[in-house]
Amino acid sequence: MKKIRLYLPNVLLTFLLVFALLGTECVLFAKYVVLNADTFRTVAEEQDLKTKAYATLEKEFTSNANTTGIPAEVFLDPVDTDALHQGILDSVSQAFDYLNGKSSDYAFTMDFTELENAVNTFFSDYAEENGYEKDEAYDEKVTSAISSAESRILFVADTFKLSTIYRNGWLEKAKKYIGYLNPAAMGMIAVTAALLVLLIVCNRKQMAHLAYWLGLASAIAGLLLLLPCIYLTATDYFTAFVMSDPQIFAAVVGFLQLLTGRAMLMAGITAGIGILLLVLFGILRHKAASDSQQSSPDDGN
Amino acid sequence: MAKTKQKGNALIYVMTGIFMAILCVAVSIALLTVPYEKAQTYLNIIFMNQERFTADQGLVITENENISTDLPSGDMEETGEIIRPSFGEQYAVLRCEAAQIEVPVYWGSSAELLDRGACQSSASTVLGETGNAVIDAHVNTFFANLTQIEPGDEIVLFTEYGVFTYTAREQVTFQNTDKKYILPTENDQLTLYTCEAQVLGTSTTRVGVVCDLKSKLFYPGEGAAE
Repeated sequence: MKKIRLYLPNVLLTFLLVFALLGTECVLFAKYVVLNADTFRTVAEEQDLKTKAYATLEKEFTSNANTTGIPAEVFLDPVDTDALHQGILDSVSQAFDYLNGKSSDYAFTMDFTELENAVNTFFSDYAEENGYEKDEAYDEKVTSAISSAESRILFVADTFKLSTIYRNGWLEKAKKYIGYLNPAAMGMIAVTAALLVLLIVCNRKQMAHLAYWLGLASAIAGLLLLLPCIYLTATDYFTAFVMSDPQIFAAVVGFLQLLTGRAMLMAGITAGIGILLLVLFGILRHKAASDSQQSSPDDGN
Repeated sequence: MAKTKQKGNALIYVMTGIFMAILCVAVSIALLTVPYEKAQTYLNIIFMNQERFTADQGLVITENENISTDLPSGDMEETGEIIRPSFGEQYAVLRCEAAQIEVPVYWGSSAELLDRGACQSSASTVLGETGNAVIDAHVNTFFANLTQIEPGDEIVLFTEYGVFTYTAREQVTFQNTDKKYILPTENDQLTLYTCEAQVLGTSTTRVGVVCDLKSKLFYPGEGAAE
Protein backbone atom coordinates (compact mmCIF):
# COMPACT_ATOMS: atom_id res chain seq x y z
CA MET A 1 0.00 0.00 0.00
CA LYS A 2 2.86 2.29 0.98
CA LYS A 3 4.59 1.41 -2.28
CA ILE A 4 1.55 2.39 -4.33
CA ARG A 5 1.32 5.63 -2.39
CA LEU A 6 4.90 6.38 -3.48
CA TYR A 7 4.57 4.95 -7.00
CA LEU A 8 1.81 7.28 -8.21
CA PRO A 9 3.50 10.56 -7.09
CA ASN A 10 6.74 9.32 -8.67
CA VAL A 11 4.97 8.67 -11.99
CA LEU A 12 3.34 12.09 -11.91
CA LEU A 13 6.56 13.90 -10.93
CA THR A 14 8.55 12.05 -13.60
CA PHE A 15 5.95 12.90 -16.24
CA LEU A 16 6.12 16.58 -15.29
CA LEU A 17 9.90 16.45 -15.11
CA VAL A 18 10.08 15.17 -18.72
CA PHE A 19 8.33 18.30 -19.99
CA ALA A 20 10.15 20.58 -17.54
CA LEU A 21 13.47 19.21 -18.86
CA LEU A 22 12.27 19.64 -22.47
CA GLY A 23 11.14 23.19 -21.76
CA THR A 24 14.41 24.09 -20.06
CA GLU A 25 16.39 22.63 -22.95
CA CYS A 26 14.32 24.49 -25.54
CA VAL A 27 14.57 27.86 -23.78
CA LEU A 28 18.31 27.51 -23.20
CA PHE A 29 18.74 26.31 -26.80
CA ALA A 30 16.87 29.34 -28.14
CA LYS A 31 18.88 31.70 -25.93
CA TYR A 32 22.38 30.29 -26.39
CA VAL A 33 22.24 28.69 -29.85
CA VAL A 34 19.43 30.06 -32.05
CA LEU A 35 19.59 33.70 -30.99
CA ASN A 36 23.35 33.80 -30.76
CA ALA A 37 25.42 35.78 -33.27
CA ASP A 38 28.23 33.20 -32.95
CA THR A 39 25.98 30.52 -34.48
CA PHE A 40 25.52 32.69 -37.58
CA ARG A 41 29.26 33.41 -37.71
CA THR A 42 30.02 29.69 -37.49
CA VAL A 43 27.66 29.01 -40.41
CA ALA A 44 29.33 31.78 -42.43
CA GLU A 45 32.72 30.11 -41.84
CA GLU A 46 31.63 26.50 -42.27
CA GLN A 47 29.62 27.13 -45.44
CA ASP A 48 32.25 29.44 -46.93
CA LEU A 49 29.54 32.00 -47.64
CA LYS A 50 32.00 34.68 -48.73
CA THR A 51 33.19 32.59 -51.69
CA LYS A 52 29.63 31.71 -52.74
CA ALA A 53 28.53 35.34 -52.40
CA TYR A 54 31.52 36.55 -54.41
CA ALA A 55 30.83 34.00 -57.17
CA THR A 56 27.23 35.28 -57.38
CA LEU A 57 28.42 38.88 -57.64
CA GLU A 58 31.03 37.94 -60.23
CA LYS A 59 28.36 36.25 -62.34
CA GLU A 60 25.94 39.16 -62.04
CA PHE A 61 28.42 41.94 -62.76
CA THR A 62 29.95 40.00 -65.66
CA SER A 63 26.53 39.43 -67.17
CA ASN A 64 25.49 43.05 -66.58
CA ALA A 65 28.62 44.26 -68.35
CA ASN A 66 27.00 43.11 -71.61
CA THR A 67 24.19 45.58 -71.19
CA THR A 68 25.83 48.41 -69.23
CA GLY A 69 29.20 48.43 -70.94
CA ILE A 70 30.83 48.84 -67.53
CA PRO A 71 33.46 46.10 -67.04
CA ALA A 72 32.77 43.78 -64.10
CA GLU A 73 36.21 44.52 -62.63
CA VAL A 74 35.16 48.10 -61.86
CA PHE A 75 32.77 46.71 -59.24
CA LEU A 76 34.57 43.50 -58.35
CA ASP A 77 38.08 44.81 -57.72
CA PRO A 78 37.12 46.96 -54.70
CA VAL A 79 34.92 44.18 -53.27
CA ASP A 80 37.02 41.09 -52.55
CA THR A 81 36.00 37.99 -50.59
CA ASP A 82 37.39 39.45 -47.35
CA ALA A 83 35.24 42.56 -47.72
CA LEU A 84 32.21 40.34 -48.39
CA HIS A 85 33.05 38.18 -45.37
CA GLN A 86 33.20 41.30 -43.23
CA GLY A 87 29.90 42.41 -44.77
CA ILE A 88 28.25 39.09 -43.89
CA LEU A 89 29.53 39.33 -40.29
CA ASP A 90 28.43 42.98 -40.08
CA SER A 91 24.91 42.09 -41.26
CA VAL A 92 24.71 39.63 -38.34
CA SER A 93 26.31 41.97 -35.77
CA GLN A 94 24.06 44.88 -36.77
CA ALA A 95 20.96 42.64 -36.52
CA PHE A 96 21.99 41.46 -33.05
CA ASP A 97 22.74 45.03 -31.98
CA TYR A 98 19.13 45.78 -32.87
CA LEU A 99 17.85 42.65 -31.14
CA ASN A 100 19.79 43.43 -27.98
CA GLY A 101 18.64 47.05 -27.95
CA LYS A 102 22.05 48.55 -28.79
CA SER A 103 20.57 50.26 -31.85
CA SER A 104 17.05 51.51 -32.48
CA ASP A 105 16.75 50.16 -36.04
CA TYR A 106 18.42 47.76 -38.44
CA ALA A 107 19.88 49.25 -41.61
CA PHE A 108 22.57 46.95 -42.93
CA THR A 109 25.27 48.81 -44.80
CA MET A 110 28.89 48.34 -45.80
CA ASP A 111 31.79 50.65 -46.49
CA PHE A 112 31.62 51.44 -50.22
CA THR A 113 34.24 54.20 -50.35
CA GLU A 114 36.56 52.15 -52.58
CA LEU A 115 33.74 51.10 -54.88
CA GLU A 116 32.50 54.67 -55.26
CA ASN A 117 36.03 55.84 -56.05
CA ALA A 118 36.50 53.04 -58.60
CA VAL A 119 33.22 53.82 -60.40
CA ASN A 120 33.93 57.57 -60.38
CA THR A 121 37.42 56.97 -61.76
CA PHE A 122 36.12 54.63 -64.47
CA PHE A 123 33.41 57.06 -65.60
CA SER A 124 35.80 60.01 -65.47
CA ASP A 125 38.47 58.18 -67.51
CA TYR A 126 35.84 57.01 -69.98
CA ALA A 127 34.45 60.53 -70.40
CA GLU A 128 37.91 62.00 -70.97
CA GLU A 129 38.96 59.31 -73.44
CA ASN A 130 35.74 59.52 -75.45
CA GLY A 131 35.04 63.23 -75.15
CA TYR A 132 31.86 62.57 -73.19
CA GLU A 133 30.45 65.70 -71.60
CA LYS A 134 30.26 65.62 -67.79
CA ASP A 135 26.80 67.07 -67.58
CA GLU A 136 23.74 66.28 -65.51
CA ALA A 137 23.11 63.06 -67.44
CA TYR A 138 26.68 61.97 -66.72
CA ASP A 139 26.20 62.58 -62.98
CA GLU A 140 22.94 60.62 -63.07
CA LYS A 141 24.66 57.70 -64.77
CA VAL A 142 27.45 57.65 -62.16
CA THR A 143 24.98 57.85 -59.27
CA SER A 144 22.75 55.18 -60.80
CA ALA A 145 25.71 52.82 -61.43
CA ILE A 146 26.97 53.24 -57.84
CA SER A 147 23.56 52.87 -56.24
CA SER A 148 22.65 49.82 -58.33
CA ALA A 149 25.99 48.12 -57.54
CA GLU A 150 25.73 48.90 -53.83
CA SER A 151 22.21 47.51 -53.55
CA ARG A 152 23.28 44.30 -55.35
CA ILE A 153 26.30 43.86 -53.08
CA LEU A 154 24.22 44.47 -49.95
CA PHE A 155 21.60 42.00 -51.18
CA VAL A 156 24.20 39.32 -51.84
CA ALA A 157 26.16 39.98 -48.60
CA ASP A 158 22.96 39.71 -46.57
CA THR A 159 23.10 35.93 -46.90
CA PHE A 160 20.78 35.28 -43.93
CA LYS A 161 18.23 37.74 -45.39
CA LEU A 162 18.12 39.65 -42.11
CA SER A 163 17.07 42.83 -43.96
CA THR A 164 14.02 41.01 -45.35
CA ILE A 165 13.28 39.60 -41.89
CA TYR A 166 13.53 43.13 -40.47
CA ARG A 167 11.35 44.67 -43.19
CA ASN A 168 8.63 42.09 -42.50
CA GLY A 169 8.65 43.00 -38.82
CA TRP A 170 9.90 39.59 -37.66
CA LEU A 171 13.08 41.01 -36.14
CA GLU A 172 10.96 43.36 -34.04
CA LYS A 173 8.86 40.40 -32.85
CA ALA A 174 12.03 38.46 -32.03
CA LYS A 175 13.29 41.47 -30.06
CA LYS A 176 10.17 41.31 -27.88
CA TYR A 177 10.54 37.58 -27.28
CA ILE A 178 14.24 37.90 -26.43
CA GLY A 179 13.16 39.97 -23.44
CA TYR A 180 11.13 37.01 -22.16
CA LEU A 181 13.92 34.48 -22.63
CA ASN A 182 15.80 35.19 -19.38
CA PRO A 183 12.71 35.05 -17.14
CA ALA A 184 11.53 31.96 -19.08
CA ALA A 185 14.90 30.26 -18.58
CA MET A 186 14.90 31.12 -14.87
CA GLY A 187 11.30 29.90 -14.54
CA MET A 188 11.97 26.60 -16.32
CA ILE A 189 15.12 25.95 -14.27
CA ALA A 190 13.18 26.72 -11.07
CA VAL A 191 10.35 24.33 -12.05
CA THR A 192 12.84 21.60 -12.95
CA ALA A 193 14.71 22.11 -9.68
CA ALA A 194 11.46 22.02 -7.68
CA LEU A 195 10.41 18.75 -9.35
CA LEU A 196 13.85 17.29 -8.66
CA VAL A 197 13.59 18.22 -4.98
CA LEU A 198 10.13 16.64 -4.77
CA LEU A 199 11.44 13.47 -6.40
CA ILE A 200 14.34 13.38 -3.92
CA VAL A 201 11.90 13.84 -1.02
CA CYS A 202 9.68 11.06 -2.32
CA ASN A 203 12.62 8.67 -2.68
CA ARG A 204 14.74 9.82 0.25
CA LYS A 205 14.67 6.34 1.81
CA GLN A 206 15.44 4.55 -1.46
CA MET A 207 18.00 6.55 -3.36
CA ALA A 208 18.34 3.78 -5.98
CA HIS A 209 14.76 4.48 -7.00
CA LEU A 210 15.62 8.16 -7.40
CA ALA A 211 18.14 7.08 -10.07
CA TYR A 212 15.36 5.14 -11.83
CA TRP A 213 12.85 7.99 -11.94
CA LEU A 214 15.45 10.61 -12.86
CA GLY A 215 16.91 8.30 -15.47
CA LEU A 216 13.48 7.64 -16.93
CA ALA A 217 12.65 11.37 -17.15
CA SER A 218 15.99 12.24 -18.66
CA ALA A 219 15.97 9.37 -21.17
CA ILE A 220 12.42 10.16 -22.37
CA ALA A 221 13.10 13.92 -22.60
CA GLY A 222 16.27 13.21 -24.58
CA LEU A 223 14.60 10.75 -26.94
CA LEU A 224 11.60 13.02 -27.54
CA LEU A 225 13.97 15.63 -28.94
CA LEU A 226 16.47 13.22 -30.49
CA LEU A 227 14.03 11.29 -32.69
CA PRO A 228 12.74 14.31 -34.72
CA CYS A 229 16.35 15.46 -35.14
CA ILE A 230 17.35 12.03 -36.45
CA TYR A 231 14.39 12.15 -38.88
CA LEU A 232 15.38 15.63 -40.16
CA THR A 233 18.98 14.54 -40.62
CA ALA A 234 18.24 11.14 -42.16
CA THR A 235 15.77 12.54 -44.70
CA ASP A 236 17.98 15.54 -45.49
CA TYR A 237 14.80 17.54 -44.99
CA PHE A 238 16.31 21.03 -45.19
CA THR A 239 17.99 20.49 -48.56
CA ALA A 240 14.51 20.75 -50.11
CA PHE A 241 14.76 24.48 -49.37
CA VAL A 242 13.20 26.29 -52.28
CA MET A 243 15.75 29.13 -52.70
CA SER A 244 18.51 28.13 -55.07
CA ASP A 245 20.78 31.21 -54.81
CA PRO A 246 23.96 29.42 -53.69
CA GLN A 247 24.85 31.83 -50.87
CA ILE A 248 21.30 32.05 -49.48
CA PHE A 249 20.77 28.30 -49.80
CA ALA A 250 24.06 27.56 -48.01
CA ALA A 251 23.33 30.12 -45.27
CA VAL A 252 19.78 29.01 -44.51
CA VAL A 253 20.28 25.26 -44.92
CA GLY A 254 23.65 25.43 -43.14
CA PHE A 255 22.04 27.31 -40.24
CA LEU A 256 19.15 24.84 -39.92
CA GLN A 257 21.49 21.85 -40.16
CA LEU A 258 23.77 23.36 -37.52
CA LEU A 259 20.78 23.88 -35.21
CA THR A 260 19.66 20.29 -35.79
CA GLY A 261 23.17 19.03 -35.07
CA ARG A 262 23.43 21.02 -31.84
CA ALA A 263 19.92 19.97 -30.76
CA MET A 264 20.85 16.37 -31.49
CA LEU A 265 23.97 16.67 -29.36
CA MET A 266 22.01 18.22 -26.49
CA ALA A 267 19.26 15.59 -26.74
CA GLY A 268 21.84 12.82 -27.03
CA ILE A 269 23.60 13.96 -23.86
CA THR A 270 20.26 14.16 -21.99
CA ALA A 271 19.20 10.72 -23.18
CA GLY A 272 22.69 9.37 -22.41
CA ILE A 273 22.57 10.66 -18.84
CA GLY A 274 19.13 9.09 -18.46
CA ILE A 275 20.34 5.72 -19.74
CA LEU A 276 23.37 5.87 -17.44
CA LEU A 277 21.11 6.54 -14.45
CA LEU A 278 18.89 3.59 -15.44
CA VAL A 279 21.97 1.37 -15.73
CA LEU A 280 23.11 2.65 -12.31
CA PHE A 281 19.68 1.79 -10.91
CA GLY A 282 19.96 -1.74 -12.34
CA ILE A 283 23.39 -2.21 -10.78
CA LEU A 284 22.26 -0.87 -7.39
CA ARG A 285 19.18 -3.10 -7.45
CA HIS A 286 21.22 -6.14 -8.43
CA LYS A 287 23.72 -5.39 -5.65
CA ALA A 288 20.92 -4.88 -3.11
CA ALA A 289 19.34 -8.20 -4.17
CA SER A 290 22.71 -10.01 -3.84
CA ASP A 291 23.29 -8.46 -0.39
CA SER A 292 19.83 -9.48 0.69
CA GLN A 293 20.38 -13.08 -0.52
CA GLN A 294 23.74 -13.28 1.29
CA SER A 295 22.24 -12.01 4.56
CA SER A 296 19.38 -14.62 4.46
CA PRO A 297 20.81 -17.83 2.84
CA ASP A 298 17.64 -19.82 3.60
CA ASP A 299 15.77 -17.82 1.00
CA GLY A 300 17.61 -19.68 -1.74
CA ASN A 301 16.39 -23.18 -0.58
CA MET B 1 9.91 -16.58 -3.53
CA ALA B 2 12.28 -13.58 -3.36
CA LYS B 3 13.40 -14.21 -6.97
CA THR B 4 9.80 -14.23 -8.20
CA LYS B 5 9.17 -10.99 -6.35
CA GLN B 6 12.30 -9.46 -7.92
CA LYS B 7 11.18 -10.53 -11.41
CA GLY B 8 7.76 -9.02 -10.75
CA ASN B 9 9.35 -5.75 -9.65
CA ALA B 10 11.61 -5.69 -12.72
CA LEU B 11 8.59 -6.14 -14.96
CA ILE B 12 6.86 -3.23 -13.21
CA TYR B 13 9.93 -1.01 -13.79
CA VAL B 14 10.09 -1.95 -17.48
CA MET B 15 6.34 -1.52 -17.99
CA THR B 16 6.41 1.81 -16.16
CA GLY B 17 9.16 3.01 -18.47
CA ILE B 18 7.22 1.95 -21.59
CA PHE B 19 3.99 3.46 -20.25
CA MET B 20 5.72 6.75 -19.44
CA ALA B 21 7.36 6.90 -22.86
CA ILE B 22 4.04 6.25 -24.64
CA LEU B 23 2.26 8.80 -22.46
CA CYS B 24 4.87 11.50 -23.09
CA VAL B 25 4.90 10.84 -26.85
CA ALA B 26 1.09 10.99 -26.95
CA VAL B 27 1.01 14.25 -24.98
CA SER B 28 3.74 15.74 -27.20
CA ILE B 29 1.83 14.79 -30.36
CA ALA B 30 -1.37 16.27 -28.93
CA LEU B 31 0.41 19.50 -28.00
CA LEU B 32 2.18 19.85 -31.34
CA THR B 33 -0.66 18.88 -33.69
CA VAL B 34 -2.29 22.32 -33.89
CA PRO B 35 0.96 24.34 -34.34
CA TYR B 36 2.17 21.81 -36.91
CA GLU B 37 -1.05 22.04 -38.90
CA LYS B 38 -0.74 25.84 -38.91
CA ALA B 39 2.89 25.68 -40.05
CA GLN B 40 2.46 22.81 -42.51
CA THR B 41 1.49 24.97 -45.49
CA TYR B 42 4.46 27.27 -44.98
CA LEU B 43 6.82 24.33 -44.46
CA ASN B 44 5.54 22.67 -47.63
CA ILE B 45 6.22 25.86 -49.59
CA ILE B 46 9.62 26.58 -48.03
CA PHE B 47 10.85 23.00 -48.41
CA MET B 48 9.10 22.09 -51.66
CA ASN B 49 12.16 21.51 -53.82
CA GLN B 50 12.10 17.74 -54.10
CA GLU B 51 14.87 17.94 -56.70
CA ARG B 52 17.25 18.63 -53.76
CA PHE B 53 19.39 21.47 -55.08
CA THR B 54 23.14 21.10 -54.86
CA ALA B 55 25.74 23.68 -55.76
CA ASP B 56 26.79 21.62 -58.81
CA GLN B 57 23.34 21.64 -60.30
CA GLY B 58 21.63 24.47 -62.10
CA LEU B 59 20.80 25.42 -65.66
CA VAL B 60 21.77 22.73 -68.17
CA ILE B 61 23.00 24.40 -71.34
CA THR B 62 23.11 22.19 -74.43
CA GLU B 63 25.00 23.08 -77.59
CA ASN B 64 23.62 21.61 -80.82
CA GLU B 65 26.08 20.53 -83.49
CA ASN B 66 23.37 19.00 -85.69
CA ILE B 67 22.15 22.33 -87.04
CA SER B 68 23.20 22.83 -90.63
CA THR B 69 23.61 26.45 -91.75
CA ASP B 70 23.59 25.55 -95.43
CA LEU B 71 20.81 27.16 -97.39
CA PRO B 72 18.03 24.72 -98.31
CA SER B 73 18.45 22.57 -101.38
CA GLY B 74 15.66 21.06 -103.48
CA ASP B 75 14.69 18.14 -101.24
CA MET B 76 12.85 20.19 -98.58
CA GLU B 77 9.19 19.91 -97.61
CA GLU B 78 6.65 22.58 -96.72
CA THR B 79 5.39 20.65 -93.72
CA GLY B 80 7.26 18.58 -91.23
CA GLU B 81 7.78 17.55 -87.66
CA ILE B 82 8.82 20.26 -85.20
CA ILE B 83 11.33 19.23 -82.55
CA ARG B 84 10.36 21.11 -79.40
CA PRO B 85 13.52 22.23 -77.55
CA SER B 86 14.15 22.05 -73.82
CA PHE B 87 15.11 25.08 -71.70
CA GLY B 88 18.76 25.96 -72.19
CA GLU B 89 19.09 24.03 -75.46
CA GLN B 90 20.57 25.67 -78.53
CA TYR B 91 17.94 24.98 -81.14
CA ALA B 92 18.60 27.44 -83.94
CA VAL B 93 21.15 29.63 -85.66
CA LEU B 94 20.03 33.12 -86.70
CA ARG B 95 21.66 34.74 -89.72
CA CYS B 96 21.13 38.19 -91.21
CA GLU B 97 23.71 38.95 -93.85
CA ALA B 98 22.58 42.58 -94.24
CA ALA B 99 23.52 43.33 -90.61
CA GLN B 100 26.33 40.77 -90.42
CA ILE B 101 24.64 38.86 -87.65
CA GLU B 102 25.12 35.11 -87.15
CA VAL B 103 24.28 33.92 -83.66
CA PRO B 104 23.22 30.70 -81.91
CA VAL B 105 19.69 30.84 -80.53
CA TYR B 106 18.89 29.18 -77.18
CA TRP B 107 15.44 28.22 -75.97
CA GLY B 108 14.57 30.17 -72.84
CA SER B 109 16.21 33.23 -71.40
CA SER B 110 18.73 33.63 -68.59
CA ALA B 111 21.93 35.56 -67.92
CA GLU B 112 24.02 32.47 -68.73
CA LEU B 113 22.26 31.91 -72.05
CA LEU B 114 22.47 35.60 -73.00
CA ASP B 115 26.23 35.33 -72.51
CA ARG B 116 26.31 32.57 -75.13
CA GLY B 117 24.00 33.88 -77.78
CA ALA B 118 20.47 35.05 -78.50
CA CYS B 119 17.55 33.74 -76.46
CA GLN B 120 14.08 32.88 -77.63
CA SER B 121 11.40 33.42 -75.02
CA SER B 122 9.91 30.06 -74.04
CA ALA B 123 6.53 31.84 -73.93
CA SER B 124 6.77 32.54 -77.65
CA THR B 125 6.13 30.31 -80.65
CA VAL B 126 8.56 27.56 -81.64
CA LEU B 127 9.85 28.14 -85.16
CA GLY B 128 7.59 26.37 -87.63
CA GLU B 129 4.42 26.90 -85.60
CA THR B 130 2.05 29.79 -86.29
CA GLY B 131 2.57 32.82 -84.06
CA ASN B 132 5.18 35.24 -82.78
CA ALA B 133 8.74 33.95 -82.28
CA VAL B 134 10.48 36.44 -79.97
CA ILE B 135 14.26 36.50 -79.81
CA ASP B 136 16.50 38.91 -77.91
CA ALA B 137 20.21 39.30 -77.19
CA HIS B 138 22.61 41.79 -75.59
CA VAL B 139 23.21 45.03 -77.45
CA ASN B 140 26.91 45.05 -76.64
CA THR B 141 27.46 41.56 -78.02
CA PHE B 142 25.33 39.51 -80.42
CA PHE B 143 22.72 42.14 -81.36
CA ALA B 144 25.09 45.10 -81.59
CA ASN B 145 24.10 45.47 -85.28
CA LEU B 146 20.39 44.82 -84.88
CA THR B 147 19.39 48.39 -85.68
CA GLN B 148 21.15 48.02 -89.05
CA ILE B 149 18.41 45.67 -90.24
CA GLU B 150 16.25 47.60 -92.68
CA PRO B 151 12.74 46.72 -93.89
CA GLY B 152 13.08 44.18 -96.70
CA ASP B 153 16.25 42.56 -95.31
CA GLU B 154 16.19 38.79 -95.01
CA ILE B 155 16.65 36.89 -91.75
CA VAL B 156 17.16 33.12 -91.86
CA LEU B 157 16.77 30.77 -88.92
CA PHE B 158 18.30 27.30 -89.24
CA THR B 159 17.08 24.55 -86.96
CA GLU B 160 17.62 20.83 -86.74
CA TYR B 161 14.27 20.23 -88.41
CA GLY B 162 13.99 23.04 -90.95
CA VAL B 163 14.96 26.44 -92.33
CA PHE B 164 12.73 29.49 -91.79
CA THR B 165 13.16 32.68 -93.76
CA TYR B 166 11.69 36.01 -92.70
CA THR B 167 11.62 39.48 -94.24
CA ALA B 168 12.03 42.54 -92.02
CA ARG B 169 8.79 44.57 -92.00
CA GLU B 170 9.49 47.47 -89.63
CA GLN B 171 11.93 48.76 -87.04
CA VAL B 172 10.32 49.30 -83.64
CA THR B 173 11.15 51.12 -80.40
CA PHE B 174 9.32 50.40 -77.16
CA GLN B 175 9.70 50.58 -73.38
CA ASN B 176 10.69 47.46 -71.46
CA THR B 177 7.30 47.53 -69.75
CA ASP B 178 5.44 47.52 -73.08
CA LYS B 179 4.55 43.95 -74.03
CA LYS B 180 2.96 44.87 -77.38
CA TYR B 181 5.66 43.35 -79.58
CA ILE B 182 6.29 40.22 -77.55
CA LEU B 183 2.70 39.05 -77.18
CA PRO B 184 1.42 36.08 -79.24
CA THR B 185 0.14 36.89 -82.72
CA GLU B 186 -2.17 35.12 -85.14
CA ASN B 187 0.17 35.59 -88.08
CA ASP B 188 3.60 34.06 -88.53
CA GLN B 189 6.13 36.65 -87.42
CA LEU B 190 9.54 36.99 -85.90
CA THR B 191 10.38 39.76 -83.41
CA LEU B 192 14.01 40.52 -82.68
CA TYR B 193 14.91 43.07 -80.02
CA THR B 194 17.65 44.32 -77.77
CA CYS B 195 18.36 47.21 -75.37
CA GLU B 196 18.85 50.66 -76.81
CA ALA B 197 22.59 51.29 -76.96
CA GLN B 198 23.79 53.57 -74.18
CA VAL B 199 27.22 55.04 -73.68
CA LEU B 200 27.33 53.59 -70.17
CA GLY B 201 24.60 52.06 -68.05
CA THR B 202 21.34 50.38 -68.95
CA SER B 203 18.37 51.69 -70.87
CA THR B 204 14.69 50.99 -70.34
CA THR B 205 14.11 51.48 -74.07
CA ARG B 206 14.12 48.48 -76.38
CA VAL B 207 14.82 48.58 -80.10
CA GLY B 208 13.99 45.84 -82.54
CA VAL B 209 12.66 44.66 -85.82
CA VAL B 210 9.44 42.83 -86.67
CA CYS B 211 9.65 40.37 -89.56
CA ASP B 212 7.11 38.42 -91.62
CA LEU B 213 7.53 34.78 -92.55
CA LYS B 214 8.66 34.39 -96.15
CA SER B 215 9.13 30.63 -96.27
CA LYS B 216 9.29 27.62 -93.99
CA LEU B 217 11.00 24.51 -95.20
CA PHE B 218 11.34 21.25 -93.28
CA TYR B 219 13.93 18.58 -93.74
CA PRO B 220 12.36 15.37 -95.04
CA GLY B 221 11.84 12.41 -92.70
CA GLU B 222 12.27 12.79 -88.96
CA GLY B 223 13.45 16.37 -89.22
CA ALA B 224 17.16 15.67 -88.87
CA ALA B 225 19.45 18.11 -90.67
CA GLU B 226 22.30 15.67 -91.12
